[in-house]
Amino acid sequence: MSHVSSKVTPWEARRQRPAKGKSGSKLAHESAEKHVLGTATYIDDMPELAGTLFAAVGKSTIAHGKILSLDLTAVRNAPGVVDVITLEDIPGEKDIGPVFKGDPIFADGVVEFHGQALFAVLAESFEQAKRAVLLAQVSYEEQPALLTIQNALQQNAFVRPAHSMQKGDAASAIAAAPIQMSGELYVKGQEHFYLEGQISYALPAEDGGIKLYCSSQHPTEVQKLVSEVLDLPINHVQVEVRRMGGGFGGKETQAAQWGCIASVFARRQNRPVKMRLDRQDDMVLTGKRHDFYNRYQLGIDENGKILGADIELAGFCGYSPDLSDAIVDRAMFHVDNAYDLNNARVIGHRCKTNTVSNTAYRGFGGPQGMIFAEAMLDDIARKVGKDPLDVRKANFYRDGGSTHYGQPVEDFFLPELVEQLEQDCDYRARRAAITEFNRTNRWKKRGLALTPVRFGISFTIQFLNQAGALVHIYTDGSIHLNHGGTEMGQGLFTKVAQVVAHEFDLDIDMIQASATATDKVPNTSPTAASSGSDLNGKAAQNACQILKSRLVQFAQQHYQVNAGDVRFINNHVVIGADENSAQWISFADFVTLAYQNRVSLSTTGYYATPKIHYNRDTASGRPFFYFAFGACCVEVEIDTLTGEYKVLRADILHDVGRSLNPAIDIGQIEGGFIQGMGWLTTEELLWDDKGRLQSNSAATYKIPTSVDIPAHFNVQLFDRANAEDTIYNSKAVGEPPFMHGIAVWCALRDAVASVADYTISPPLDTPATPERVLNAVMFCQQESKA
Amino acid sequence: MFCYMLDQLVRKLQRIPRTEFSTEIQLCRAVPPRIRFQGVQAARINRAVGQKTGVSVIRFNLNGRWIEDNKIDPNCTILKYLRTTMMQPDAKEGCAAGDCGACTLMLGEMTERGIEYRTLNACIALMANVHERYLLTPSGIGRAGQLHPAQQAMVDCHGSQCGFCTPGFVMSLANLYQQTGLHVRQSVLTDEQIHAALSGNLCRCTGYRPIIEAAHKMAALPACDVSEVSAHNGVQTFNPQSDVPADGSPAALQDVDGRRLFMPLTEEQLKALLRDYPDACLWAGGTDVGLEITQRFKQFDTIICLNRISTLARTQVLDEQLWLGAGVTYSQAEHELADLFPSFAQLLHRIGSRQIRNMGTLGGNIANASPIGDTPPAFLALNATLEIDGNHGRREVAINDFYLGYKQTVLQPGEYLRAIRINKLQSSESLTLHKISKRYDDDISAVMFALFMDVQNGIIKNARLACGGVAATPLRAQKTEQALIGQPFSENTFLQAANFIGQDYQPLSDVRASKEYRLQVTRNLLLKSYLELTAGQAGDAA
Ligand SMILES: Cc1cc2nc3c(=O)[nH]c(=O)nc-3n(C[C@H](O)[C@H](O)[C@H](O)COP(=O)(O)OP(=O)(O)OC[C@H]3O[C@@H](n4cnc5c(N)ncnc54)[C@H](O)[C@@H]3O)c2cc1C
Ligand code: FES
Ligand code: FES
Repeated sequence: MSHVSSKVTPWEARRQRPAKGKSGSKLAHESAEKHVLGTATYIDDMPELAGTLFAAVGKSTIAHGKILSLDLTAVRNAPGVVDVITLEDIPGEKDIGPVFKGDPIFADGVVEFHGQALFAVLAESFEQAKRAVLLAQVSYEEQPALLTIQNALQQNAFVRPAHSMQKGDAASAIAAAPIQMSGELYVKGQEHFYLEGQISYALPAEDGGIKLYCSSQHPTEVQKLVSEVLDLPINHVQVEVRRMGGGFGGKETQAAQWGCIASVFARRQNRPVKMRLDRQDDMVLTGKRHDFYNRYQLGIDENGKILGADIELAGFCGYSPDLSDAIVDRAMFHVDNAYDLNNARVIGHRCKTNTVSNTAYRGFGGPQGMIFAEAMLDDIARKVGKDPLDVRKANFYRDGGSTHYGQPVEDFFLPELVEQLEQDCDYRARRAAITEFNRTNRWKKRGLALTPVRFGISFTIQFLNQAGALVHIYTDGSIHLNHGGTEMGQGLFTKVAQVVAHEFDLDIDMIQASATATDKVPNTSPTAASSGSDLNGKAAQNACQILKSRLVQFAQQHYQVNAGDVRFINNHVVIGADENSAQWISFADFVTLAYQNRVSLSTTGYYATPKIHYNRDTASGRPFFYFAFGACCVEVEIDTLTGEYKVLRADILHDVGRSLNPAIDIGQIEGGFIQGMGWLTTEELLWDDKGRLQSNSAATYKIPTSVDIPAHFNVQLFDRANAEDTIYNSKAVGEPPFMHGIAVWCALRDAVASVADYTISPPLDTPATPERVLNAVMFCQQESKA
Repeated sequence: MFCYMLDQLVRKLQRIPRTEFSTEIQLCRAVPPRIRFQGVQAARINRAVGQKTGVSVIRFNLNGRWIEDNKIDPNCTILKYLRTTMMQPDAKEGCAAGDCGACTLMLGEMTERGIEYRTLNACIALMANVHERYLLTPSGIGRAGQLHPAQQAMVDCHGSQCGFCTPGFVMSLANLYQQTGLHVRQSVLTDEQIHAALSGNLCRCTGYRPIIEAAHKMAALPACDVSEVSAHNGVQTFNPQSDVPADGSPAALQDVDGRRLFMPLTEEQLKALLRDYPDACLWAGGTDVGLEITQRFKQFDTIICLNRISTLARTQVLDEQLWLGAGVTYSQAEHELADLFPSFAQLLHRIGSRQIRNMGTLGGNIANASPIGDTPPAFLALNATLEIDGNHGRREVAINDFYLGYKQTVLQPGEYLRAIRINKLQSSESLTLHKISKRYDDDISAVMFALFMDVQNGIIKNARLACGGVAATPLRAQKTEQALIGQPFSENTFLQAANFIGQDYQPLSDVRASKEYRLQVTRNLLLKSYLELTAGQAGDAA
């Protein structure tokens, strides 16, 4: 027990200064150095075990129809092929639907979308597997395919029943209002484009079990599905994920299929099996953000105040439910954004189409609802001839109000935040300058928009709001930390380690975060809904508190002092009330002593979010523990001859409560904004009339590059503690900033509206590609001529 | 060290009479494949005992270490080799198509000025590219256990989140660092330089802001010269010219399982190879053919690399004309056209990414006959002459006669494109180019618009308009041209001429744009070109 690692700063030195890297400091990402060296290990980087085989799937070439025959002879005979499986070869459950059934691991007699997996091949190399799958002879009886939301609505094709929420009497309020108006917006979906594609590596394990490395945001679900597919008890399967090269929701449910296929092969062959989707397979085979087709009817007064709103949202779910129920719900929950609709009726449809099953994506339907709120507010502003910001302010919620799903409005300081951003970014002066610019420039036009974000935090499925952690203290004072959250770049491991460091007042380098593993912390929730640090930070804190109370209790007895006289300071435990006579014992010595006195230095921690509930039958409750706020002001310039544009400037003020790590939080805000901007500008999903995904590669689907970001890009944190008891009164930050991207779209629409002197609100479906912007410009030109 | 000595020895021995090689090669070609394979094996063994420079071996320097391998399939990419054979996974695969930059590496070449590096996409570049060159990867650029300034700045500025794109960004930044000479003197980088260096690196997490900050900050960190890493085990100045005969076909550089790759150094060698293998895959930058291997999993039996033929990689400024070798890369052209054809240089700046521009060639862009290639419309507008050579002798073709149909040209099997000649612009002449795409950097054009004008005394004497993305081939707009020629140089003329665009072009709708937009924007670009040509006079330019 005398070993002291040379990596550890001497305790004496640590005593002289505050502990480093605790919560609240701008600590670098725990893997930053490994990232820049390329040595951070992703699953495809793990040294392959001898005998590793490679899997690939064969895909359907129609969007909808019966499979008449599937001849895989040539596939089996292809060079390097070791095994081929179809649905019949799945030993256990064949449907891996995460919440509702409907996702057969391979097409079950019927093809439901173009590219659906029909079978899988196992070969000696990745290339051999990829070549072999192309040799299948398949004959189909094609059936008509539903490829659009409008089609699905006409034919009443839904993956789940519609849901509606209401407050007051929307119909009468609209009818009685001085002004009635209506509008619609088609919002396209988004490809996740995590840089690391889907991947799983399955190793045969003891007693017919499986050890699976899987790039997944939800290892517990993958574990459960693998066990079902192999017909094993859950305890025979272990799933581990150290890090993902991005997730954004795309690895919440959609990582499981590849893990299951790899596991089935690993069991059949008793060999390690790697299944990696190349970019094109990844884009074709996995779900995306939902398109939404949204319509409204509004009743407003002359000042642009909303008196009543009747809103219909329709999500493009694809062929199966996946998470679409909760996603469309969240779109509905956010269609008010920050505004009091007074009397509202909101309906959400879950449209079934013959396309890949759409899934979670940062914001989880929220953005598609929220952008519609902003579209409405802009439409109102044009109608009543006011600055959109003034109309927004006039419609803000006030404390004491309530939403269209009955959640009381509390701690609503968004107006104050908006006010501050308006001042900081000089909104009024710039508005005047832009008006002048547009008056004097014939071809180039500028636009400005300042839009708010109010995003509800919690899983809307109540039981998911729980988390576990595992903390071991070793006798040299180093700590092993594990929790149910996964690291996908958002800095969760860093933040939770900072929580532990904070609790013990230890240097961060004493805390070793470890791979998320289903055999360490069981029954976890997905790392999603921005909840990672809220849930796992609290669970880890709980574990630390349990350990601390054990240690304090031990010290009380051992040193015969009061509990209050045992304190954790500067990597030490200080015993005694009096500053001068107090005894400073290094954390290592203290825990060694505790160990020698037979105190358990390991525990689990647990957390469940309080206060939340939602009754789906009455469509009311408090689905969200709290809301995160923010606002963003964007200026753009468009070319009215080509529709090309440039985002000139963006200012963001965002509320993360009391930040756990300002550097990481700002990184989430900047990255979220640019991802949101990409969604609404250059990123365009496109299916052809046969249901084939046309935007199926990085060459045809364009996420922003470095020149696309605004030359002036300012992000500030709105420093105010969360009134709710979250971990150190911080707020979740993963998803909310994504929706600042909406300001880009509003600014583009503002620039276009200038063509008709702001008298009309031009139609501008998303993404606002140069083509759509040019069309909107031409619409304005024609309307103002007419 | 051993490799170094061996190479010294080899270089001495390289002065073996040329004829011996020829015999060897004759032998190689005369015998059936299996035996020929053994023949090459024999060459390699000979080499090991110092008798002859064998050629069927790839020899390169990886982060300072010399490596030789004679078992690399000619179709093997650098990325695949590193990640699977070398089990060195520091470069990542994000797309395997040259689009994301996660695989970006630095490739160094010995020049009179020392080792000069450029970035490339290891996912679509063949291992043949690294032969006798210096490769640097993210885990190898630091010195003495320290991070390279590009790496340190990325850590300091929180430039990584998920980290998957990061190694690629680090290499682009380290290359920028080296290229701008920050290792010898401190200076300030501009945002333009940084964006250009990062144009082929996608990051989905950070939103780029911290990466750009890191690029600015790396300049202030203690200097690091990566060529010292490469030179760690000795520098080699290869004289590949002596490796192979000046005429006659050289032996295969790679020959594995019946698939072979040749790397001729002269046009004579190329022609000899084309006689033997008229259907071989010609590989210039590989930014097009490379995708056949990584996206369609094709394996070529015979590959002939064009990118070490020095005469094809030259540009020459003649009296009236500019002569551009077909093997000139976009990056090279971007540099060398800057004075004579600034608008062309600006266009080149928007082709692909820095990595792609370092690999892709003008000849490849013309020869692949894609309707959406960016330079063909410009060359059409300039009325370029193409020099063709090969099995049927040398000939010249006006680029207007080069394209026969979708992805079809007048090139016959066994022929290659040698050079492009364009006339210099006179003072009354202008070239206006517009690239329309969804994304500014690294995107394929929806419409590529190129307009050449000769305006004298207010009258349009001559006009050539060519567009890409509006027909099955890059195409001149003859009716529109007629509507311009002879007319006064005025807004009205351009507006009138725009009415003919719809007669000249019948574009299709696809993932990049609808046919309606393609037509509309082409019409508008005509007006925009006029406004730009008159900018300063008319006040509000487009
Ligand atoms: C990420 C990415 C981005 C891209 N962006 C753009 C872009 O913005 N604009 C654009 O125009 N293109 C773009 N491309 C396409 C690509 O750069 C071009 O097709 C390129 O010009 C090909 O040149 P290369 O030298 O790489 O050709 P290669 O891939 O080596 O060859 C292409 C074809 O031409 C033939 N060929 C090459 N040289 C000769 C020759 N001298 N004689 C006869 N035949 C020859 C080859 O046999 C082959 O069939 C992009 C490609 C990628 C991967
Ligand atoms: S892996 Fe994407 S560019 Fe090479
Ligand atoms: S850090 Fe995740 S893609 Fe760049």
